[in-house]
Amino acid sequence: MSESVIGVSRPRVDAPDKVTGATHFAADGHVHGLLHARLVLSTEAHALLQRVERDAALAMPGVVAVLTADDLPLASAGSDRTTEPLARTEVVFAGQPVALVVAESEAAAEDAVEAVVVEYEPLPAVVDVEDAMLPGRALARVLEEDAGGGDLESIHAGVDKGQEDGEEEQLSGNVLDTVHRNAGDATALLETSDVVVSGTFRTPWVYQAYIEPQVATAWLEPNETLVVSTSTQGSFVTQRELARAFGLPLERIRVIAEPLGGAFGGKLALMEPLAAGAALALRRPVRVVLTRAEDFQATNPASAQVTHLKIGARKDGTLTAIAARMIVDRGSNAGWGVEGITSLLVAGPYRWEAHEIRGYGVQTNRFTFGAYRGPGAPTAAFALETLMDELAVELELDPLELRLQNAVVEDDVGVSGNPFPRMGAVEVLERIRTHPLWQSRDSLPDNEGVGLAAGYWPGGNEPAAAVCRVNQDGTMTVVTSAVDMSGVNTGFAAIAAETFGLSPDQVRVVAADTATGPYSGASGGSKVTYTVGKAVLKAAEAAREKLLAAASDELEIAPADLEVVDGVVRAVGAPDHSITVAEISGKALRFGGRYEPIEGHGGSAQTRGAPSVAAHLAHARVDRETGEITLLAHVIAQDVGRALNPALVEGQMRGGAAQGIGWALYEELVHDENGQLLTGSFLDYAIPLAERVPDIDTLIVEVPAPDGPFGAKGIGEAPVIAAAPAIANAVAAAVGIRLRELPMTAPRVWATLEESGA
Amino acid sequence: MPAARQLELVINGERRSAEVEPRTLLVHALRDGLGLTGTHVGCDTSQCGACTVLLDGRAVKSCTMLAVQAEGAEVTTIEGFARNDELHPIQRAFVEHHGLQCGFCTPGMILTASDLLTRAPDPDDATIRRALRGNFCRCTGYQSIVDSVRAAATALREGEAA
Amino acid sequence: MEHVRPSTLDEALEGLAAPDAKALAGGQSLLPVMKLRIVRPSVLVDIGRLELGGVHMSENELRLGALTTWNELESAQELERPALAALAECASGIGDLQVRNRGTLGGSLAHADPASDMPAVVLALGAQIVLRAASGERTVSAEEFFLGPFTTALGPAELITEVVFPLVEGSGSAYVKVEHPASGFALAGAAAVVRPDGGQSVALTGMGGQAFLLASDANPVDALPDAEIYGDRFAPVEYRRHLAGVVARRALDRARERMEGTGE
Repeated sequence: MSESVIGVSRPRVDAPDKVTGATHFAADGHVHGLLHARLVLSTEAHALLQRVERDAALAMPGVVAVLTADDLPLASAGSDRTTEPLARTEVVFAGQPVALVVAESEAAAEDAVEAVVVEYEPLPAVVDVEDAMLPGRALARVLEEDAGGGDLESIHAGVDKGQEDGEEEQLSGNVLDTVHRNAGDATALLETSDVVVSGTFRTPWVYQAYIEPQVATAWLEPNETLVVSTSTQGSFVTQRELARAFGLPLERIRVIAEPLGGAFGGKLALMEPLAAGAALALRRPVRVVLTRAEDFQATNPASAQVTHLKIGARKDGTLTAIAARMIVDRGSNAGWGVEGITSLLVAGPYRWEAHEIRGYGVQTNRFTFGAYRGPGAPTAAFALETLMDELAVELELDPLELRLQNAVVEDDVGVSGNPFPRMGAVEVLERIRTHPLWQSRDSLPDNEGVGLAAGYWPGGNEPAAAVCRVNQDGTMTVVTSAVDMSGVNTGFAAIAAETFGLSPDQVRVVAADTATGPYSGASGGSKVTYTVGKAVLKAAEAAREKLLAAASDELEIAPADLEVVDGVVRAVGAPDHSITVAEISGKALRFGGRYEPIEGHGGSAQTRGAPSVAAHLAHARVDRETGEITLLAHVIAQDVGRALNPALVEGQMRGGAAQGIGWALYEELVHDENGQLLTGSFLDYAIPLAERVPDIDTLIVEVPAPDGPFGAKGIGEAPVIAAAPAIANAVAAAVGIRLRELPMTAPRVWATLEESGA
Repeated sequence: MPAARQLELVINGERRSAEVEPRTLLVHALRDGLGLTGTHVGCDTSQCGACTVLLDGRAVKSCTMLAVQAEGAEVTTIEGFARNDELHPIQRAFVEHHGLQCGFCTPGMILTASDLLTRAPDPDDATIRRALRGNFCRCTGYQSIVDSVRAAATALREGEAA
Repeated sequence: MEHVRPSTLDEALEGLAAPDAKALAGGQSLLPVMKLRIVRPSVLVDIGRLELGGVHMSENELRLGALTTWNELESAQELERPALAALAECASGIGDLQVRNRGTLGGSLAHADPASDMPAVVLALGAQIVLRAASGERTVSAEEFFLGPFTTALGPAELITEVVFPLVEGSGSAYVKVEHPASGFALAGAAAVVRPDGGQSVALTGMGGQAFLLASDANPVDALPDAEIYGDRFAPVEYRRHLAGVVARRALDRARERMEGTGE
């Protein structure tokens, strides 16, 4: 046998094109007769639209049209971003698209946007999510209410919302959804616990900050097929959303997912209804490319959240109960929110004897909530893992031992009510225990500290299919419709090569579109490798069966006695009896050929979850005079199931940790009291830069997922989750202060130090 | 609208002509006028560095430069960075050391690294990270990019020595 | 908008006489505000290729051409001396590598962003700014030059040609800032000069509408009047006031270390 290709680091399959500029992103393709659209955004956070004055803009050179909602061939009267891509009568956040200026050039469209005058009748802006919940408060949406009806929620993590309960809290109509998770008598147990700690934690709206701004291009083919070429995480879901928006049959919509310039949860069906609506209205190709300023205002960042949390333990360190009240700011998103998932994840990878957790999804006039890597998870972990550390201090226990003692193992029942599948919570903590940074935590210079935190992501499932096709030259083409957001195509190549018996450089992976490809869900929720990867494995197995049947015929040896190594089928134990894959394929793919094409189709419908857990160590230094936090080192240990390609797995771990550093120290979308965005550019909204991210040491822990391809599981979300609390705990270790709000900016740290007198 | 005019530019070693207005930014002349779409637009505040090109060998942000300002200078974009059909050692290092994920920032990263390595052939990690301040990456956490630049520096020094 | 590229300084000054004409050097301050459509010149007079660059050191002064880029400043060997270290230190922390390749000393001073770094250094080092108009040349001190946010003594048809720094043998200088994590601009920046005769100068930037010199022997913190200090959502007045004292003290300490040869 040749060496396994699983577990071996290899460059990404798309790397050569990406280093030479050969990759065409969604804004790069040349389309004949293309028109360029630029958005007119609402300047009001909450208002009724009175009038859109477009004559001046229409008179400008190069301007083709100024479109409002009424000009788009929308099918229904919904009020979500799919069915109402341009505001109809009520604007519900500053930055909401109100009109589209379409012109022969981008510059002409940009010039004309300034000439469109929109008249508003202002309404009270609802910006304080806690206040918005109170009975009698002004509503963030006064006219239409619509639950959406799309299926964008299930992409990220389908979790149930706990049980219904009889007691009714008095709440305003801004509260769109409530979640209640409850088992045992948490209140009583907390009263009798030896130690109880509590706190209220706040996290802001956070922007995905993909480097490629949102973009979509749409046109009509002569046969009336609507083609949309776009930067999206999912082609089929976008196709469904467009069908819903415009009342078109699926077969008339073809969605092509172009190489994705970053998304992290944020690129799902926001731009496509705009581009498609304009193309349908004007019957010409239209491209919408957001400027960064528009992208900041008009898209769908992660929710702000307020978490009231209380946890208790016995003297021996056994956790008793957890009580939480979690308020999620959905902005204008009536369709879904993270109150379901955050109220699950706030319990962490730990055992509790009782829990009492409530989640609230509340509408405000701030953005449209969307998904961002581990939706609802970083904010839950910030609260829980801060209190876990405080609990350890109160109990005089080592914070790692406290976590280990309570870490879930397989079949422990979580607050979801379901047993945990196999997950390496204990294993990642054990790896951290022996790390030199953890060992040295008590012998650091003044104002330095090391903090620990852990968090998990449940993973996601969605049926998927794949095709493996052997070409005449003996190479293989793997066809899926999965969008390669995190390097999954490189993993597919390894899975197919290993399963079939080729070397990975003989395998090409192509992304198909909705007209041509096997089904795949959107990339999100840490599910693609686990689900589509499994389909690729089965497709490669099916192709291999065909290969062996043909080879058996050629070599007159039973299939069971054959093996496939590096593109050669040979008899086990008698390698001289062999035939190449290319020879067999050549005999199949020709006029009068003797064998079926060597091609396999595979599908998967995973039912068990494959959660991934990660523990972080952060080493921070605090400048007591300026409040600045410098990260000196960071360590992440993550259970990845099986690392198909360790270099790519490390890339996910480091990238997730860096985004967690953004949550911890820098990132915050702020509105003023009128709902105007104050941090709408990279001049105001900081993301981690090369010089502010330390080296991140990666510890890969492999606890195989029983149903995953070669034991692999989805790993994209887990690494972002507990980075921020690890840094917060490091700050506490360094200078003895506990911040209850993210990000931990220098002015906040300084003010907290001043208050504490530390 | 002011009259557009033909602008002569030397791009990737070739004399090219593009129709531009005085206000046209170099990045738009490259992308829209000349079809060189490897130069990307990631922000509008001169920060993200996705639009970085080389102007007479020095990294500049083509979104913060008028096309007319490049007249008479040598512009190198990512499409012209490879040497005779072979990847430039910096490009090769980014492939081999996993210095990219989504790839949107990659052309700018590579060209900024080129400027750095021209001036500082053996930079330490802190120098590399400082040089990349004006190039945002949201995917990698930067470490693999720093690894790639360091490896490229070694390859370039060894290439010089050979 | 028109773009003209004069080949001499006189032609450039002639071009600047047009209404709403703007001089374009490296463009790293001007183009960003033009992209935001805050500034809409009718004519851009592209002075980028005039012979206005260069680092010229003589026995008792340093003359920096207005088109000297940040990158040239940060790497100029002539500036590697305690008396002028603040210049390179400041230049190396401006923007990023790409911006420093294009951005010029003269362009930045003319732009006079209240949070930009170099005004503090120019003030602390006691520089003279040489201005040229069609009618002739004049020299103003740095203190006379900065008048307010984005406002200077520079006339509409006038160009900065040179910045002249007196050399005080045996002195030490430094620039220290705490920067905004997004923009990189100074939340508070301090340039300090200490002289062998015991004298010192400290200038602050990022604090208010313009960079300013502190009274010569004042304690940096006490010397700050309230009205001078900006507060915003990110950095309230109280924090900026506190930072001013921190960066001023750190800059003075570093300048003194350099003067005494005990620093780096």
